[in-house]
Amino acid sequence: MAYYIFTLVFFLFDYFILAMGLNIQYGITGILNFAYIGFVAIGAYVTGVAGLPANVPGQHYILGLGLPFPLNTLLGGLAAMALAVLVALITLRRLRTDYLAIVLISLSLVFYDFCNNYVSLFNGADGLYNVPAPYAKSLGLGVNSFIIFFACLTGVVALIMWFVMHRVLRAPLGRTLRAIRDDHVAAAALGKNTFRMQLKSMMIGSFFAGIGGGLLIQFGGSFNPTAWLPGETFVVFAVLIVGGAGNNVGMFVGALLVETLLIHLPAFLPDIPGHPGLIEYFDLALVGVVLMLMLWFRPQGIVPERLRRSASFGAPERLDEEAGRLDQTAAIAAGVGIEQADHDTGNGR
Amino acid sequence: MVAPALRCEGITKAFQGVHAVNGAEFAVPEGQITALIGPNGAGKTTVVNILSGAMKADHGQMFLGETETTGWPSYKIARHGLLRTFQLSRELGGLTVLENLLTAAPSQAGDSLVNVLLRPGLIRRQEREHAERALHLLEVYGLYRHRDTPARELSGGQKKLLEIARAVMGSPKVLLLDEPMAGVNPALIDVLGGYILGLKEDGVTVLMIEHNLNVVERICDYVIVLAEGRTLATGRLSELRQNTEVVKAYLGEVMDVSAAN
Amino acid sequence: MSLFWLSVGFGLVTSSVLAVAAIGLSLQFGITNYVNFAYGDFMALGAFFTYVLNNEVFHINIWIALAIAALAMGGFGVLINQWLLGPFARRFQSTHYVLIVTFGLSLVMLNVIYSIWGADVRFYSLAAGSAHHVGPMLLTTNQLIVMGISVALLAALHTTLKTTRLGKSMRAMSDNTSLAMTSGIDTRRITTITWFLSGALAGVAGSVLGISEGNLTPAAGELFLFVIFAAVIMGGIGSIYGAMAGAVFIGMSTEISAAYINPAYKLDIAFVVLILTLLIRPNGLIGRPGTTEA
Repeated sequence: MAYYIFTLVFFLFDYFILAMGLNIQYGITGILNFAYIGFVAIGAYVTGVAGLPANVPGQHYILGLGLPFPLNTLLGGLAAMALAVLVALITLRRLRTDYLAIVLISLSLVFYDFCNNYVSLFNGADGLYNVPAPYAKSLGLGVNSFIIFFACLTGVVALIMWFVMHRVLRAPLGRTLRAIRDDHVAAAALGKNTFRMQLKSMMIGSFFAGIGGGLLIQFGGSFNPTAWLPGETFVVFAVLIVGGAGNNVGMFVGALLVETLLIHLPAFLPDIPGHPGLIEYFDLALVGVVLMLMLWFRPQGIVPERLRRSASFGAPERLDEEAGRLDQTAAIAAGVGIEQADHDTGNGR
Repeated sequence: MVAPALRCEGITKAFQGVHAVNGAEFAVPEGQITALIGPNGAGKTTVVNILSGAMKADHGQMFLGETETTGWPSYKIARHGLLRTFQLSRELGGLTVLENLLTAAPSQAGDSLVNVLLRPGLIRRQEREHAERALHLLEVYGLYRHRDTPARELSGGQKKLLEIARAVMGSPKVLLLDEPMAGVNPALIDVLGGYILGLKEDGVTVLMIEHNLNVVERICDYVIVLAEGRTLATGRLSELRQNTEVVKAYLGEVMDVSAAN
Repeated sequence: MSLFWLSVGFGLVTSSVLAVAAIGLSLQFGITNYVNFAYGDFMALGAFFTYVLNNEVFHINIWIALAIAALAMGGFGVLINQWLLGPFARRFQSTHYVLIVTFGLSLVMLNVIYSIWGADVRFYSLAAGSAHHVGPMLLTTNQLIVMGISVALLAALHTTLKTTRLGKSMRAMSDNTSLAMTSGIDTRRITTITWFLSGALAGVAGSVLGISEGNLTPAAGELFLFVIFAAVIMGGIGSIYGAMAGAVFIGMSTEISAAYINPAYKLDIAFVVLILTLLIRPNGLIGRPGTTEA
């Protein structure tokens, strides 16, 4: 029972981290990163090969540094960040939204194929296994106790990462990224180096992806290509959109609803005889449907993005009468001003 | 002789074989309000796009003060003190009115991740200073009451005010206004004109594309006439009204209308 | 016979399949201005529909089954546009939303196919056919028929686009939708017809893919989608002739190089080509600009 609940708890915290990463890229900056799962994967793989000792018989892989937690995980995060820089340099400068989405998802598949076929990299289709469980030996944890321990450890990591993300989003950096999302032409006209900022967004988001991936491989002890078909990115998008793109609380809610309830809870249901995997297929189709329903009926998600009030900046407020006198202009503008037609704000095409 | 605030030479730009701009060249005097006028299709918006870095010219050079800015991207030109507004307001819709202005604040230490993580006190202080200045500007432009409103919810006229206030927040040395009076009701035109004159008092050089010759007459010191992608004439409006070429190309119809009134 | 010509033969077959698929995608993109990420699953559904007609429930001749399946997928395309994609595209200004929806549709379709047919490999029932010498190449009857279908469809499409009023309207809409609307073109009707064609072509492509590969799996369409992307981007997204050219280029280069390098990397070769193209010419070789606005 405890094993069951704490497995769910682990996935809740892990996907919370993953969602925060995609959120800064898509929810805040508007980059449709359909390759997100690829960054999670490299984080998992690099964490694995950083943690595994130099030469485990039966598996082929690069590195093998035998590093303990959290070093191996940090290395995974950094690897994901490095991959993000490479990808951003190739794609971000030049491509508009749908091209970018196509190229990203294709790059994700290429990377997938590579990991699947090139055995010496990360052990090919078999993937990495017997990845050491952090502190299991030193604390003498059995399988079940390890699950509880690691779920809590992931919770702590999630809390720290939430704190960092919260800082970033509240800072001018977060606001500039949202400005770029809303209208990158206007943002550039105001002096923002949009490519550099998008690059930062990709890097930060991918770091989170890498950490999340690193935690995944250490929780389960293994990681192979079946865990990350390019379509898996979609599950993270579902977390984002159901929860509410653009804000961290939404990420938690989304992780709770989509990842924990929709994806992992049914995994504990017994298989229907004669139809192996049917529940899983049905479940994934359901996630797709839920997402479409959500996008139609409540695109802002369960927890909509909240904007920051002026008072929070600490500048002295004006007395309303003083402001009111000068507001006549606003009244003229509001009441009599000619409405201008909406225009394309530069998002999408 | 003070160097012109903004200068361009031999600017050419063609779109799929059609020349929108064909050898435009002019100098915008420092600290004055200059109008860029001309018939539709004369290439005015294209020139402004090129001067602000939104587009690259095919040929030609441009200078911001002493610095050559040919080929620079728009953010770099903006950082060097040239800001512009758009004819169709480009408000940052998902941000509040205040946040729109804060985005324009020059010197943002808070855009750097390192600073966000390591120097929160500095950022907090800067934000407070910027917010104070922004709130004051909002008061001046009559948008204070809407400081926390998402910009997409403003009316058309309010968005125009926001567009200008936001540019002013960026402390520009040179401000390019693309048809600031377009689609604006008469009462607001007076107010906007007042603001633009105020900018001149603050030492900002203004170049505005404008079709409304009454406005040009009232507030502009200098006029540049563009026609068919090249500079037709420059000077004070009163002189230009005597210039037969200018009258033929542009002022002709307008002069008849105003004479009839 | 040499490895080279053998692979050229394969290349021609792959190019044929790819051309049909790529044009279906390009046509729809040209009219709607967003990419349908579920297109690969349309192909898979078409392939399985053919399977049901040919080898599971009924036992109709493969080529007839293919034709029926294509029509059915055309109808499916129209329905999807009518009830799902069209409404989303009209509602939101930013194309992000509809792209995510097509991605979601892909997930739903793939898993529905898995639910019904499972993950097992399936086969069509068709005569093996003999091999023929065509110049220096060796091709089976079925391969030749596949190529023939492809050429016929391409020719029909070319004629339609160039000569008929429908074709002209489609090209007008593809160039400038709002202008087309004000010129009195019934954009709704054209959109419906385009989705029918796109779905039908996907159905044909999925089935001939199954025929030329010799088997069907639910995920085959999705995997092939990436090769289609490579062809379409190379040719310039939205350009029909670009899609054809891209298809030939990608089809030939992947098969020929796969003969000499590890064939498992066939798809990836397409990608390296694609990435290189994009780095040099972000607009693709032909076709419309794909760069970010100024």
